[in-house]
Amino acid sequence: MRRTAAVWAGKATGALARISRLGGGTTLPGDVARAIDPDVLRKMSRDLKHGAIVITGTNGKTTTARLISWLLEGAGHSVVSNRAGANLIFGATAAALEKAGANGKLKVDWGVFEIDEASLERAVDEIQPRAAIVLNLFRDQLDRYGELETIAKRIEAALKRLPADSRAVLNADDPRVAEIGLNLDRPPLWFGLDDTSVATRELPHAADARTCPRCGASLVFDAVYVGHDGVYRCPNGDFARPVPDLAATHIDLNGFESLAMGVSGVRIELPLGGLYNCYNALAAFAAGDALGLDPAFIAERLRTFRAAFGRQERLEAQGRRLNLVLSKNPAGFNETLRTAVDLAGGRNFLIGLNDRRADGTDVSWIWDVDFERLRGRAQVVVPAGNRADDLAVRLKYAGLTAPIATPPEPDPALALDALIRATPEGETAHVLCTYTAMLDLRAELVRRGWAKPYWET
Amino acid sequence: MARKTLTVGWLYPDLMNIYGDRGNILTLLKRAEWRDFDARLIELGRGTTEGIDDVDVFFFGGGQDREQALVYEDLLETKQTALERAVASGASVLAVCGGYQLLGQYYQTGEGERFPGIGLIDVRTEAGKQRFIGDVVVDTDLPDIQPQTLVGFENHSGRTYLGPKAKPLGRVRMGFGNNGEDHTEGCIQGGILGTYLHGSLLPKNPHLADHLVTSALARRGITELAPLDDAAEIAAHEKILARAQRR
Ligand SMILES: [Zn+2]
Repeated sequence: MRRTAAVWAGKATGALARISRLGGGTTLPGDVARAIDPDVLRKMSRDLKHGAIVITGTNGKTTTARLISWLLEGAGHSVVSNRAGANLIFGATAAALEKAGANGKLKVDWGVFEIDEASLERAVDEIQPRAAIVLNLFRDQLDRYGELETIAKRIEAALKRLPADSRAVLNADDPRVAEIGLNLDRPPLWFGLDDTSVATRELPHAADARTCPRCGASLVFDAVYVGHDGVYRCPNGDFARPVPDLAATHIDLNGFESLAMGVSGVRIELPLGGLYNCYNALAAFAAGDALGLDPAFIAERLRTFRAAFGRQERLEAQGRRLNLVLSKNPAGFNETLRTAVDLAGGRNFLIGLNDRRADGTDVSWIWDVDFERLRGRAQVVVPAGNRADDLAVRLKYAGLTAPIATPPEPDPALALDALIRATPEGETAHVLCTYTAMLDLRAELVRRGWAKPYWET
Repeated sequence: MARKTLTVGWLYPDLMNIYGDRGNILTLLKRAEWRDFDARLIELGRGTTEGIDDVDVFFFGGGQDREQALVYEDLLETKQTALERAVASGASVLAVCGGYQLLGQYYQTGEGERFPGIGLIDVRTEAGKQRFIGDVVVDTDLPDIQPQTLVGFENHSGRTYLGPKAKPLGRVRMGFGNNGEDHTEGCIQGGILGTYLHGSLLPKNPHLADHLVTSALARRGITELAPLDDAAEIAAHEKILARAQRR
């Protein structure tokens, strides 16, 4: 009875939130239901016919969750998933609620939930997932999540509590994730990249996880793929990147348009760009593999994938193409910039920085982003968001002077105007924003009829 | 005539860099370049003191616990004597967060265990339960700097208390500062400036960057720097000041 009441209260809130267009993190229904029955997610998870998968890590959760849902749906399964970037445990509850019947029962095959790093323990306890994926661990929102080490320890504790028939699926290329995996009793399924043609030798500024967990020596990197993810070893020989069970080889990157790679003897192609999406696709492949999907089917299905809100969305705006990419921490931002400038030849940029709670209230991380990459390549960079002034200073010290960087423009409508004005017709403008800065900008795009509201995409 | 030079020494750039500390380095170097100085960066990682005697301004940032433990050992083994020598000869030091704590007398854990620092400044730090997180505005006690405010962001659980030899960098108008009790923030002791402000600190406080440089270059007879256009930096500074006024 209590559960039914909780489900209904949650459902009513969900409908309300959509009608009143409270965009963004759709967790309110989850909050309401959990207040009435704190066990509502635990109970609904038990209803799932085949079980659930949880995905955590700093970057790529949303895309990976969406890829896995796409695979499962393609195989004829019904899936419940927390889609709109609402990855707190309340978001997962809200998502489950939406699909629950009038009796509070969930008639769905699979749950695919992205869970933020700090909530994984609770999620594992309540959801009892069949598989738990850890994508990477980068510095992100130090004001809210605390330092990397604290987060890593909590993830390790969570994985140690996985049910006996559950599998941990871990990124071998991330030294801090590997350390977690090596401390588990049951061996995880490791995935990683094996193609030095897309690697660099140099760690970026402010890379985390660069010392050996056993002896403290600085790790030697033979290849660097994304952030501190790569092929590494301790010079004293007591720690090294685990050999991946599933490795991506022969990687081809085509700007923001597409990527291709070989995994387990099949060729995977999908309409997502950037090296970071190789990891997301590989993680999804690993999950599909762990759940018994046929590799040939996975490859076929991935070809027709569509990206989630604000994660590589392409729009038309007065004869210009807009490419929207959510960019929220140094590792993600550096990869987006690398893809935009080096692979896609990007010249026009709007960069949006907000410091609301969902973005992180500390903006010091912008100094760890290599905006220097834009120097001599960009023809316009519009600093936007409520911390546009800080961005403008960052761009100045990166050597981007006027007319490349326009004056800071916190108003999303005016920032968009400045971008359109400066972008020649027929060219692409790249819009890189933190979470709520993207929401603000997207709301303006919707107002102008250039984008659909996010729940319709 | 030979070009004027500025040498910046970054202590443990690979391990102590958690809060966008690179911004402080870039600010020191770029401002020197814009003034036609020959600006040079020396990275002082573990096991090396090469070039340490040439350094005018040292920067020592914050790190994660695991890295800070590694740094502590190296500081005692390879850097302490050289650092003391450099400071005695008039170099200036900016130490932020973890770096600030490590230069002090000791750090005391919640269980009462004491880890000695290298004692270059007369401050001591104790673990606190609640983390102090948020924007900070400080009315600074530093003479001759304009504006007389510093802005930044703090994120620390350590409570730092000043001994008689250390003077506060200023008083908090907004935020917690050294310990959340006495309203002080940071410390000044000779050429060493310690603080909890990051954000990064120097880009939004260009007057403080110039202060660190002039106090180090005084030994070479340079007491004034050519003015620069700081409109962008001051605009960002004033955005944070406005937040303090809104309260
Ligand atoms: Zn080792």
